[in-house]
Amino acid sequence: MTGALLFLAAAAVPPSPAGPWRAALDLAGGPLRFALEVAGRPGSWTGTLCNGGTCNPLSAVRVAGDSVVLEIGEYDATIAAALRGDSLVGAYRNVGNRGPRTIPFRAARGRWPAEPVDPRLVGRWHAEFLLDWEASPRLLEFRDTPRGLEGTVVGKGGDYGLFWGRTAADSFSMAHFDGSFVYMLTGRLDGDTLRGEFHAGLRGRTSWRAWRATDAPHLAPPTEVTRADTTAPFAFAFPDLDGRLVTNADPRFRGKVTIVDVFGTWCPTCHDAAPLLVELYRDYRDRGLEIVGLAYEVTGDPATDGRLVRRYRDKFGITFPLLLAGRNDTEATAATLPQLEGFGAYPTTIFVGRDGRVRRVHAGFHGPAVPDLHARVVADFRRTVEALLAERTTP
Amino acid sequence: MSRLVAGTLLVGLAVAPAAGQDRRAEVLRERAAYEEWLATSPVSPRRAIARPVLGDGLTLGPGDADVPLAGLSLAQLEEVGGTVRLRHEGTTRVLPRGRETALGAYRLVPLGRAGRTVVAIYGGALRGKAPSWYDYDPRLVLEATLEPPAQPGRVRVGTVDGLEAEATEAGTFAGALAGTGFRFTVRRVPADAEDAELEIHFRDATNGLGTYDAGRFVALEPLGNGRYRLDFNRARNPFCAYSSAFPCPAPWRGNAVTLPITAGERYAGGGLVVPAPGARE
Repeated sequence: MTGALLFLAAAAVPPSPAGPWRAALDLAGGPLRFALEVAGRPGSWTGTLCNGGTCNPLSAVRVAGDSVVLEIGEYDATIAAALRGDSLVGAYRNVGNRGPRTIPFRAARGRWPAEPVDPRLVGRWHAEFLLDWEASPRLLEFRDTPRGLEGTVVGKGGDYGLFWGRTAADSFSMAHFDGSFVYMLTGRLDGDTLRGEFHAGLRGRTSWRAWRATDAPHLAPPTEVTRADTTAPFAFAFPDLDGRLVTNADPRFRGKVTIVDVFGTWCPTCHDAAPLLVELYRDYRDRGLEIVGLAYEVTGDPATDGRLVRRYRDKFGITFPLLLAGRNDTEATAATLPQLEGFGAYPTTIFVGRDGRVRRVHAGFHGPAVPDLHARVVADFRRTVEALLAERTTP
Repeated sequence: MSRLVAGTLLVGLAVAPAAGQDRRAEVLRERAAYEEWLATSPVSPRRAIARPVLGDGLTLGPGDADVPLAGLSLAQLEEVGGTVRLRHEGTTRVLPRGRETALGAYRLVPLGRAGRTVVAIYGGALRGKAPSWYDYDPRLVLEATLEPPAQPGRVRVGTVDGLEAEATEAGTFAGALAGTGFRFTVRRVPADAEDAELEIHFRDATNGLGTYDAGRFVALEPLGNGRYRLDFNRARNPFCAYSSAFPCPAPWRGNAVTLPITAGERYAGGGLVVPAPGARE
């Protein structure tokens, strides 16, 4: 009876989160191990997150009943878990610009043991990550430390941070988790070769293999593209809604300032931009402005696309030509406008000077939902048109 | 012996429905987290105000600033050697790329690569509609081995959040729905990043008739050993569907099925009604 009362009394007191924790994120490809340590007392908890010898303080530790929330403020990330005796079970959550990312989290009281490192692994390895059917070079480094296996992965953009882990028989696993980046390298020694998977985030998995390195791999920097060709007049040639071919060489565009509006009737932001183009055409046509709309539509079927574009024309009272330029996929658009490198957004507004060459490319548009910015882009477009109209034609 | 066999069979029969239930629960959790983020995040697409190009510099705040923001005194943004700096009320701060920084009642997120930075600006009340979804449908979860891409290499694509990114051709996902085969181009967006999603921007017969007109995005789930899961219940709209602050990404060539894929995110509002792929007058 007394024992039962003592048990009930003990159960009523929430367990303390204080102490070291063997933590893991359950990635799709296996557990990523790291260490947590919570210290302090109710109302003033602190914590650290460790990958082997590298530890960083948590920005906040909040405990309410059996709820424990560990905040990694630098990355706007949290680990929220339920404390049940000697275990924590919950989820790691990091909010990116495209939404939240969640990975299951669990921890048990205690410290990960420092396990002996297989000496055959230690040193530098020249790796090939098999990413999207292409071999991409990386450098792997493994070190035997008092904390166990440590190392890193080096790519063309630098290293991936300190990894910590363990070896077991011919296999190894080491990981880097700092609250934002979630990386784990797993593999197996197969003779003179290492083979394995690189895990990134909850689901990312990349196969790799490696050999003893002789020197660091060299990687070319990524290329930057996206601009308009201004060395020649901007060329287009597409049928209008009556099937007549309209080109940049037609008399109506000769010596004029021309706005080429790359749009689609399926694109809400294009609907926001259309009234401004109608206004500009009304206000500046007499001074030498021409506008042509290039419609990139869903079906590619002229009859269906033509009907949609007519509805669009009638909705906005458009009197400038609208041409059926093609289907709205990126490759199709790029293929029909070879002078516009790196096209990727609807609408795209191309301002062409009186000499037929591109002066400016504006991707996207601010609609009237945000009045100040809409007014701003309206004024900006007007200024651009006025400046181009004021340019003299080079003889 | 017979008890062991019977027990094994029972376990085998029980595993599949349980796995299906887990899968459904996981997708519903993911949707709930996404909805909560859209409704509560200071950087929700539904709070987006603008995404100006940083270029030679931007001013924010007063009525004559590049981006007028009510209640904010003059703030200046500039890029120096790839670093985005914010000057406001006598102090200068460095804004980390891809992460939000508070500025008065607003949030700023520099995006894109050095020299081509855009600054996403968020603030104010929620605008637009909350997402709505089709019921979870376990029949619209497929698995396959990814085939090599027909044309390996890189391509520039519009992303879910209205940026322009270089993507790698990651392969082809071949599947079948209701006896109709399809082949979808799969791209790693952005290129080269191991933690990047393997994305499919696809169109189907529901587009313009209950789903976003210009197609939806869904990310493949790697299962190891070259196998991937395509769960249409996880399909989502690009952010352009929530706010015209985001440019609309252009759909990918060929990634269309003539069947209605009644799974994932729905859409109501914006644009004209567009006929679904294969529809004829």
